[in-house]
Amino acid sequence: MEELNKIIHDLRNPLNNISINAELAKLLVEQGGEKQRIIAAIEQIMLQCVSCSSGIDDLKSYIKNKS
Amino acid sequence: MANVLLVDDDAGFLAATSDLLGLLGHSVSTAASVEAARQAVEDKEFDRVFLDLMLPDGSGLQVLDSLASDHKKQTKVTIITGHPSVKNLVKSLYGPRVNYLIKPISLDQLRVLLDDKSGVAEVAQDVSGVHKHLGFLIGESQVMKNLYSMITRVSKTSANVMLLGESGVGKEVVANAIHHASLANGEFVATNCGAFSRELITSELFGHEKGAFTGAVARKSGVFEQAENGTLFLDEITEMPIDLQPNLLRVLETNKFTSLGATKSVDINCRVISATNRSELQLMSEGCLREDLYFRLAVFPITVPSLRERREDIPLMAKHFLGELNDEHGTTFNIVDEEIEKLKGYDWPGNVRELRHTIHRAFIMTDTESPSLIFTKLGSPFKNNVQQKGVLRAGRTIEDVERELIEVTLDQYDGDKKMAASILGISLKTLYNRINDYEEK
Repeated sequence: MEELNKIIHDLRNPLNNISINAELAKLLVEQGGEKQRIIAAIEQIMLQCVSCSSGIDDLKSYIKNKS
Repeated sequence: MANVLLVDDDAGFLAATSDLLGLLGHSVSTAASVEAARQAVEDKEFDRVFLDLMLPDGSGLQVLDSLASDHKKQTKVTIITGHPSVKNLVKSLYGPRVNYLIKPISLDQLRVLLDDKSGVAEVAQDVSGVHKHLGFLIGESQVMKNLYSMITRVSKTSANVMLLGESGVGKEVVANAIHHASLANGEFVATNCGAFSRELITSELFGHEKGAFTGAVARKSGVFEQAENGTLFLDEITEMPIDLQPNLLRVLETNKFTSLGATKSVDINCRVISATNRSELQLMSEGCLREDLYFRLAVFPITVPSLRERREDIPLMAKHFLGELNDEHGTTFNIVDEEIEKLKGYDWPGNVRELRHTIHRAFIMTDTESPSLIFTKLGSPFKNNVQQKGVLRAGRTIEDVERELIEVTLDQYDGDKKMAASILGISLKTLYNRINDYEEK
């Protein structure tokens, strides 16, 4: 159970990163912000998606080991 | 705007949140460890600290200790955590100046916290995970999505808004959402026009100078002054006496007001959101609001939907209200699907307010031995009055009234006999027997 909690906790971190970078990108677009800053926020989102994917793999392995 | 300290070891989150809050006009400092955070709070005074608990050199709670001294007690703290269970720990250890957000967080949540003047803002997500749109509103139905879209649009302008909707739909909550979404610098000032005495209404709205009338022993600011650069919410606007409405009209037309006993007028700069539980048709036919004032107030009218127009949101709202009660009392009560269906089948004439009170009532009747809420009697005495006036009159037989009640109930639930039988309090078999009898006649 502790291991599962840790996996879930670790998944929330990249999700948090994605959420806040998406908010930033949206606000920058709304305010006509610099293109480079918008692209940097989107790249960060893409990077964190990879991290989420790895977290889901951990979750899959955990379920497989338990069943 | 606020002085903010962000404490987190996730560099990507720190950089983005720092940029985001900077764009909103806040002054932001960052720290990636307990040591750096301690140094930051030592060097500078912050209005709010956003704190991650798991830091490379220790726990975020250690930073809280540095904020415990008297001169730091103005600093409010929001713990950003991945564990909902942290909430209870936070509440019991640190009291109201510390609250929490569960990852992932949104801009709406940050805005609500940083715009909160009282320091005890409700977080925009509760422990049961129900999301509050725009920091205040719950519901995923299409009518609510339309409402969010209208709020977002109007919040970008300075237009006056009139909120229409039945009693209990949450008009003040919507007004608050508009205020916060508009990023106004001033306060949200809510006032009820029905609560003013006729003699004091002008003083309440515009204030008075010392000695303006007998008993005016000191200067008093009116609600227009209090809401400067913010939002003034005038609830039950139609309760304002019709002969006093021209005073309000003049202020809205000239954007200036003069407090009682003053010699100079003062400019006003606030959005006025008014609210009434009358429909536009009633406003017109009952003559309780001057037409010219209506057009000044209702530049952008918004009708807040009743609860029965968004039955699909009832489970979410029930979960939220129950979550609040569980949290307050340290219980883990629940509502089973069958009971949720009962809630969805009822008409809610008192809307969200009635739903909240119904859940509270059932919560009181629940105990830890059977921890599921049971709704035995749904109904409002006010609804019965309305029905009696329209339907019941002397001179009809019981059979007639029974038949009409069954037909009306079947109509209400689109012919769903199981649901109708449950609402009528009879078995499905009895309902079928009655329907067959009526068909034979």
